[in-house]
This record gives sequence, structure tokens and C-alpha cells, in this order.
Amino acid sequence: MKKLLSLCFCLLIPLSLITKANAGEQAEQLFKQLAPSLYQIKLIDIASGEKSSIGSAFQITEDGLIATNYHVISGFARHPEKYKIEYLDNSGNTGLLTLKSVDIVNDLALVKRDVDENQTTNNYFKISATTPIKGEQLYSLGNPHDLGMIVVPGTYNGLKKESFNERIHFTGSVNSGMSGGPVVNKNAEVVGINVATSGNQIGFLVPHTKLVKLFSDYQELGGQNIVEQMATQLSANQEKLLNSMLNSQWQMRQLGNGQIPIIDAPFIRCWGDSNSDKTEALYFAAVAQCALDDDIYVDSRFFTGMVEMEFRYIESKKLSTTKFYHLYQNLFSRAGANNQVDKDDVSEFECAHNTITTRADEHGMAAKSAFCTRAYKDFPKLFDVVFISASVDQQQQGLISYFSLSGVEQALSQAFTEKFIEAVSWKQ
Amino acid sequence: METVIIEEISKGHKTISRHKFQQDSITIGRGYHNDIIVSDPHVCPEHVSLEHNGEHWVAFDQESVNGSFLDDSKASAHQHIVRSGDIISIGNSQVRIVFPNHPVAESIRFSPLENFVNFASQPWLLTTVIALFSSVIGYLFFLGQAKEVTSSLIFVRAIGFTLMFALWPFGVALVSHLTKNNARVFAQLGVSFIFFNLWWLSDLLESLVAFNFSSNWPIVNVIALVPIAASFGLFWFNCYVSFHMSPVRRNVITVGLTILFFGGNFLIGLSKQPEFNPNPEYNATVLSPAFLFTPNTPAKDFVQSTNELFDKARAEADK
Repeated sequence: MKKLLSLCFCLLIPLSLITKANAGEQAEQLFKQLAPSLYQIKLIDIASGEKSSIGSAFQITEDGLIATNYHVISGFARHPEKYKIEYLDNSGNTGLLTLKSVDIVNDLALVKRDVDENQTTNNYFKISATTPIKGEQLYSLGNPHDLGMIVVPGTYNGLKKESFNERIHFTGSVNSGMSGGPVVNKNAEVVGINVATSGNQIGFLVPHTKLVKLFSDYQELGGQNIVEQMATQLSANQEKLLNSMLNSQWQMRQLGNGQIPIIDAPFIRCWGDSNSDKTEALYFAAVAQCALDDDIYVDSRFFTGMVEMEFRYIESKKLSTTKFYHLYQNLFSRAGANNQVDKDDVSEFECAHNTITTRADEHGMAAKSAFCTRAYKDFPKLFDVVFISASVDQQQQGLISYFSLSGVEQALSQAFTEKFIEAVSWKQ
Repeated sequence: METVIIEEISKGHKTISRHKFQQDSITIGRGYHNDIIVSDPHVCPEHVSLEHNGEHWVAFDQESVNGSFLDDSKASAHQHIVRSGDIISIGNSQVRIVFPNHPVAESIRFSPLENFVNFASQPWLLTTVIALFSSVIGYLFFLGQAKEVTSSLIFVRAIGFTLMFALWPFGVALVSHLTKNNARVFAQLGVSFIFFNLWWLSDLLESLVAFNFSSNWPIVNVIALVPIAASFGLFWFNCYVSFHMSPVRRNVITVGLTILFFGGNFLIGLSKQPEFNPNPEYNATVLSPAFLFTPNTPAKDFVQSTNELFDKARAEADK
């Protein structure tokens, strides 16, 4: 047994040495083999005839179905009359693509190139059946900054844990323009799709399983109305997200003399700050902020799928009650939405305010609350919601609680609002 | 010898000067030898004369270049038999001829309004309302400062603001003085500062209502009219104190000023408003617990009431 073990050990070392030595060669070979089914995608603004965005893409079937990122072709998905989608292959041929299917939540899209019966090719990407293991060498392909197709070796580092929608953490340089390009293992099987970068060798990929799902749905259902498809996906995503938050444990934390809920879910991350170091300040202020790290890209000026919460505790022994509340009022007046939108995407906010009791029992606090919502124009069930509430039952201390949700449905956002209001109270 | 009164009047029939004569012949013209000297380039050195023929006063145009006419009409005043109150136009000027027995309007009793104005111009009241106003300005400044402020800074701010507001009554009084009216500076100051105090009172009232009632409460919009009413009152009294004018005219001017003031502000606000506002606009009035008089709404009911907002936003988006 000992022998066998040592034998294995001996075998392993040279093997790994070989892999390292061959990494460059392997990349070269992979690239040569895969280049014919790699494409650069350009979104052409029809009126000006110039490209408005570029990205990478790869063919996944013999009849010309091509996968890319949703955000590469988002302009077309939102305004099909304004743009056309063009591809450029490695031999310099160009042609038009039609949009077949999208997954807006996972940032994927399927486009199709017209292929003659006799032009079908075996030269297309195979999607991996397995998930890579941590540390596995992967190769990211794409066309960064319109500089030409390149291959970037890197390492698989598992899934990003703070992410609500799964993203692979890839250690390697993914640059803009490579979006939509495939990431393959050494067997040239697709394991992910380039989607984002945090700079300094930190890249993010959409797991291949999302592409498998999109592709199989497409095979089953065929092309769908893109806007309806996006509406369905956004609705399903907000339902999953809000239910997951509502069903997570809401841990009560102390903030000054107040008690605030911290949602115990890995995708909600919190930060804090206070002015306890500023001795000359007229009041003590402590703030806790929690937010979802993800957002959903709808188009370059329209983001959704965000969650943000903020709690602010203020206390002062130095100020009179009137002055305290005068300054406190300023903190109440600044609530806003956290997602970027354009006037074509949403209505303006409709707001209501009232003084409320947060709970029916003795722990309820009196609070001035404002609730605002705006509706999405293209997605009839979705809204952005902003809520802010300020306690008004103590002489020289106050607790302001705020949240904003984007791209949510009425009933779930109201359920969230109710739970949120009840969760804030004074220390017991 | 007959007694006659000649008034030089402006185009708006305001008396500029008044002269009483006891003679049978009066000459009017640009020349310095005339009884009434009119320094209007369109008036001739010897323009018109009035002669008493034993029974009547008769006007004689002295073959002037631009002629003499009755009032604003085209009827020549030459050889016109003058009645008391007749107006003769010469060049761009006018004179009115009045006989000593010309009837005058009945004396007017001091009305409650006049009593109020007199009350407002008493030194002790004037001091009180101005002091109250400055104190409120100073206090509001103090409340708005998130850092420690010295009392001298508050004092300077309060005095500065008070002087700035005082410019308005002073300005009105100046205009009134320049237009040959009774300026009544103290009355203007008193009345104006009473209304300036009403402004902050109406602000306070608005805050109280916004804090105590929900956005669904219909009276909220009515409360917004209070500052408009206060401004109307201010302008009305400004006119009443310093300018003699008919009630209709006073109302028209006041309505005009109020529309100019609020309409102008409204238009400026409108022009600054972006085409699309990505931020929520909600009422952010928060007062201390002592000002909360109404019972609070249960959270459930508040959330329930937001149904309406979703419907409104949806309708807005579908437009």
C-alpha cells in the first residue's frame, strides 16, 4: 500500500509539471481549434450605420445558433426598430443575426445566423456536462476592446458566494468586449460565459448550466416574444428573491437604543458607520446599511433587481427637542431609489405619508412614514418601491429606517413592507 | 371780481397743483407772464384764456398751434361756457376749472380698516411685530444649524433678514411718496410686518397639518391657500394705506400682484422641473412628539392604503 502511494506521488509530480509546461501550447491549440466558431457581435445603430456596442459570442449548434450575453444585445432586445445585430467571424465574414431567446436574469441570449443546409458545420462549441473543480485551469475566449480574438488562461475559483444569481469567480483578465465569449476547460467544453470583471484578474462568468437551461427551453418552446420572456423572468426572479428574504431569519441587532432587523442571507451584505469619534458633534449618529450585491442589467440606462436597506440612529443630550427634530427632519427627507432608470422605462413616483404605529403590541413605536412606488412601462407587474420611516415618540432620540426594492410585484413588496415595519422597534 | 379755482391735473386726473384766483380774466400758457404757467412744449406761450362776462366764465383759445379741447374729446373749447368741474386739454396737459360752490363728497368716518391701520402704526405695536418677526427668523436659523452657532451670528442673521423684509414696506412708501400720495411709512411697516408674521404662522400651520394628517386628507390642499391669502391681504393693505384708489381698482391691483408673485414663483418652479423626476417626492415634515395630536394609523392599514399608489403608478406608466 505504501508503495502504491509513493508510486502515485511520483507519478503526480511529473504530470503536473507537464500540464504547466503545456499550458501555453494547449491554449494555442485550443484557440486554433475553436476560432472558427467564435464571433464578434456588433450592435449597429441603423440610423447612423455605426456600431453602438460590441461583444463576443460562440456557436453552440450546427445550424448556426449562437450564445452571447444579454447585455451585448440589450439595445436590440429593447428597441428592435433602432438596431440590427451583426456578426464577424474569424475569416472576416459578416452577416445579420436574429434574436431568438434571452435570459435577462443570468445575462444570456441566443441569436441565430442563417445557415444553408449544405453549410452546416461540426465546428461548434460543446457545452460541458460537468462543473469544473476549484483550481482547474480554464481558458476564456473573446475579443477585448475590439483588438481581435484572444485566449486568456485562468483558474476556476468556485461560485461567488454573495451572489443571489450564481456567478463563477474566475481568476483571469476578462476585459470589456470579451462579454459573451465562452470559457472552456482543457477539453474545449464550455463551462462558463464571460460576463463581468472587477479588475485585477478578478472576472465573473455565468455558469454553463444556465446556458444549458436556456438552450433546452429554446429547443422545447422555440423563439418567444422577447419582452414577455423578460417580464416572466424578472417576475420569477423577484419572487424567488423576496420569498428568500421573507423566509430568511431576520436577526434583531441593536443600533443605539433601537432594534433593527438584519436579514440573514448570504447575498445581503451589511456595512456600518458612526460619528462616535467626533466629540464636537451635536448628536451621536450610527448607521447600518444592507444591500444585495447583484443588479439586473436591462439596458445601459435601466437597472433593476436591487435591494437596499438603511437604518440610522440619532441621539442627542445637547439639543432641545425642537432643534433635535428640526435636524432629524432633514435626515428623513432624502430617500431615493437605488436603481438607475430612464423616463421611457418607468412612471414617476407616487407617494403617500402618514403617522403610523409600527406594531399593535407595547413595543410598537410611533413613526412618520412615507411610501412611494413607480411602475415599469414594459413589464406590467413590476414596480420600484421606496419606504422611509422615522420614529417620533422619543424626546431626543430617533430611528430612521429605509428600504428600496426595484423590480418587484405589488403583493410581495407590500408583504415585505409590513414585515420590515414590524421588525424595527426600541430596545426592550 | 369772481373767485375761481384752477387745477393742473395729470392724465390720470390726479391733481398736480391747485390755484385760487379772484379776478375776471385768467391766462394759461407756456409764457412766464401767464397766470397759470404750463411747461409743456406742446402748449403755446399764450394758449388759452378764461374771461368772466358778468354771468359766465368763457374759454377763448388764443389761436394756439395744437388747439384747446374739452376733456379728452375733440370738441374745441373755444368760446365754451365753462361749468364747474370742466376739464380743458391743452397740448399734453389738462386743467380743471372749479367754482367755489363746487359740491364735495361727504366726510368719511374712520372705518374699522382705517382704525386697524392706525393701530398697526403705533410705535409699541410696530416694535412688537418687528421684534417677533426677527426672533422667529433668528430661532429658525438656529434650529437649522447642525453645528454650534454663536448668538452674535444669529443676531446678525435675524437683523439682516428683518431689514431685507423691511425693504418692501419702505419701497411701497417711497413709490407712494413719489406719486404724490401720503406715504405713511409707519403704517406700511406695521401692516406689512403683521402679514410677514402671518406667513410664518401659516408655515407652522402647514407643517402641523402635514405632520398630523395623512396624504389622503383633503384639507391639505386648502392649507396651501393660506399663504396666498396672507399675501393678498398684505398687498391689499399696502394699496389701502398709501394710495387713494377706488375699491375695484385696489382689488384689481392686489389680485394682479398676487398672481405676479405666486404665478411667477410657480412658473420658475415649473421651468426648473426636469422632464422626468427619478426621485420620489413625499412630504417630509417631522415635528417633535409634542406636536403630534392625531391617533396613529396601524402599519397594516398604512400598507393597505398603498394599493392606491400602485394603481396610480400603473395608470401613469400605461399612459
